[in-house]
Amino acid sequence: MDRECCWNQELLEQEACPKTGEGEEDLLASRRQRNLEKCCECPRFLSELHRWRDDGNPLAPIVDNLLGEYRLQKSQIQSLVSFLDNKSLEIRFFHELGSVLQSSVDLDEVLSVALTAITAGKGFGMNRAFLMLTDREAGVLRGYLGIGPRDIGEASQVWNEITQNDMDLQTLAQNFRLNKLSSERAKFHDILECLTVPLENKEHIFIKALDGKTPVMVENAYYHPDVPAELTRLLGVDTFLLMPLISRNRRVGMIIADNFITHRPITEADMHSLETFGFPVAFAIERASLYDNLQIELNRVTEAGRKLKEQQELIVRMENMALVGRITSSIAHSVRNPLMIIGGFARSMLKNSPESDPKRTFIESIVAETRQLEGVLDEILNYSDSLYPTRDFWDVNQLVESALRDTADALNLLGYTTAYSPGIELPVVYIDFKQLSYCLRTVLQNDINCLGKERFIAISAQARDESVVLLIEDRSRSISQAELDRLLVPFSETSDLGAGLALALCKTMLEKQGIPFVAQADPQEGIHYSITLPTRKEEH
Amino acid sequence: MNRILVVDDEANIRLLYAEELKDEGYEVVTAANSAEAAEKLQAGTFDLAVLDIKLKNESGIELLQKLVKERHEMPVILCSAFSCYKDDFSAWLADGYVVKSGDLSELKQEIARVLAKKALKSKVEG
Repeated sequence: MDRECCWNQELLEQEACPKTGEGEEDLLASRRQRNLEKCCECPRFLSELHRWRDDGNPLAPIVDNLLGEYRLQKSQIQSLVSFLDNKSLEIRFFHELGSVLQSSVDLDEVLSVALTAITAGKGFGMNRAFLMLTDREAGVLRGYLGIGPRDIGEASQVWNEITQNDMDLQTLAQNFRLNKLSSERAKFHDILECLTVPLENKEHIFIKALDGKTPVMVENAYYHPDVPAELTRLLGVDTFLLMPLISRNRRVGMIIADNFITHRPITEADMHSLETFGFPVAFAIERASLYDNLQIELNRVTEAGRKLKEQQELIVRMENMALVGRITSSIAHSVRNPLMIIGGFARSMLKNSPESDPKRTFIESIVAETRQLEGVLDEILNYSDSLYPTRDFWDVNQLVESALRDTADALNLLGYTTAYSPGIELPVVYIDFKQLSYCLRTVLQNDINCLGKERFIAISAQARDESVVLLIEDRSRSISQAELDRLLVPFSETSDLGAGLALALCKTMLEKQGIPFVAQADPQEGIHYSITLPTRKEEH
Repeated sequence: MNRILVVDDEANIRLLYAEELKDEGYEVVTAANSAEAAEKLQAGTFDLAVLDIKLKNESGIELLQKLVKERHEMPVILCSAFSCYKDDFSAWLADGYVVKSGDLSELKQEIARVLAKKALKSKVEG
């Protein structure tokens, strides 16, 4: 008990204590603390205790007992601390996971986080995981996504990368989502494609696990009576864990996890941890799916709103058109009838007046002016009629033949002959018949200079792609392209009201129906018109 | 002599048609509306009717439909301020269609054409 009783001293020098190392200097000043942490294992103390025993000191066995108990308690405390540390890590992991799962409504993000958590070393550390989702409409549980290496080589590479980058779970999941989601899906395509089980198949182990709502550990799968042999062959492992994903009693899906590479046994603790993890994952998946559906519905509603707005605008336009129609109708009656009466009686008087009558010139002026005004009125009425086309499906041959019939007398007077070559099995075209008929009549009998040679108009109709092209060739009329272009512009310098607005009006009418109208002129070759009629109703 | 019934709500138009068609050698009877037209049709037979599409408070098209139904042997020529009616299905019931104009030559030609067609038809049917 002389020099070796360092445990009794309040203060010790560094070299006086064989068990206190660097960084533990505070123990040198605290006897109690030093006794508990160091002296019990110190050879000096143990040697002194041994001497007590040899000397027959009656305290020796009691101190021995106390020391043994102390060591046991200390070991248990250390074990508990280790357990608590693990649990803290687990809680932190779940917190991290929960934060991501709770904050995300993106299905891919949720799935990336869930599967990364299962397979990451910082998570549950399983080698591989497959996610199956319930397709309620199709009534099946279907493979959706897989994650993990397919062989040892890939495993080493991936795990090395993860170790070197030392990423947290969220970063790993983000990385997976951005860079690997599609490739992993493609990598496990063969397996995922075969992982489809009808929900009605109550005997299948997946559906049993889903209906049971608890995880199922499948061991010895090759000989398991409930596991189909093709499933075991497909997964290539004899031990795997099935974790049903249930949210509010709804079967959301299933996760299959295994240790395909390391073959590490899956423990009860793994299973319980995964079970805890299953609920937030199921909830997050369901919420993200509902959000997806909500988004789809929102898009539909937005689209419906857009269409409604279009319809409202259309109604306003139609009301405006109806107003224009009423106004023009009123004009037609208010102006047309007096004009007709004035012109008619003027003609009548002219007819009955002798050539020598000095007032004849005045009457001729009235006739000419009323004719001019009638031309203006025709154009205004035709223009207002063109503002709102009424389209339907029509037969092109009927259209052309009707126009030819209507213009036959006028063209005969001009000395014209016409020939129509109808196309074979022409489809019906989507047009405003009245307007197209007007345009054809106008094109056929427009008053562009006639040449003295043979007067002949060739018309043909040909089906082309999704249209029927009407070609009208009039080689007997002479005009330059520039002059013809001017005639196609309404109210241009050369086309005053009542004097040649007709072709411009045709172009406007056709453009309003989205029908291309091309007029090409050559002083020697005449005029070639092409009108491309659609065979399909355009989609809006 | 062919008898023509002219139905138009404008008195001056009726007068103009009557004068001009008489000059062409037709006997012309006029009516201002469908009721008057019905009276005239009850009183005698006509070889042709010339109808205005828009009468004051009624539709010439409706009168046309009535005439076609009740007197299908009598051809009808429609007159209108609108050229667009020409392509209207309901106007296709008429035997002819003329856009109103101070120049009545088109109307006269149409009347001659329709009457010639009627005469030919009567001849063929015996």
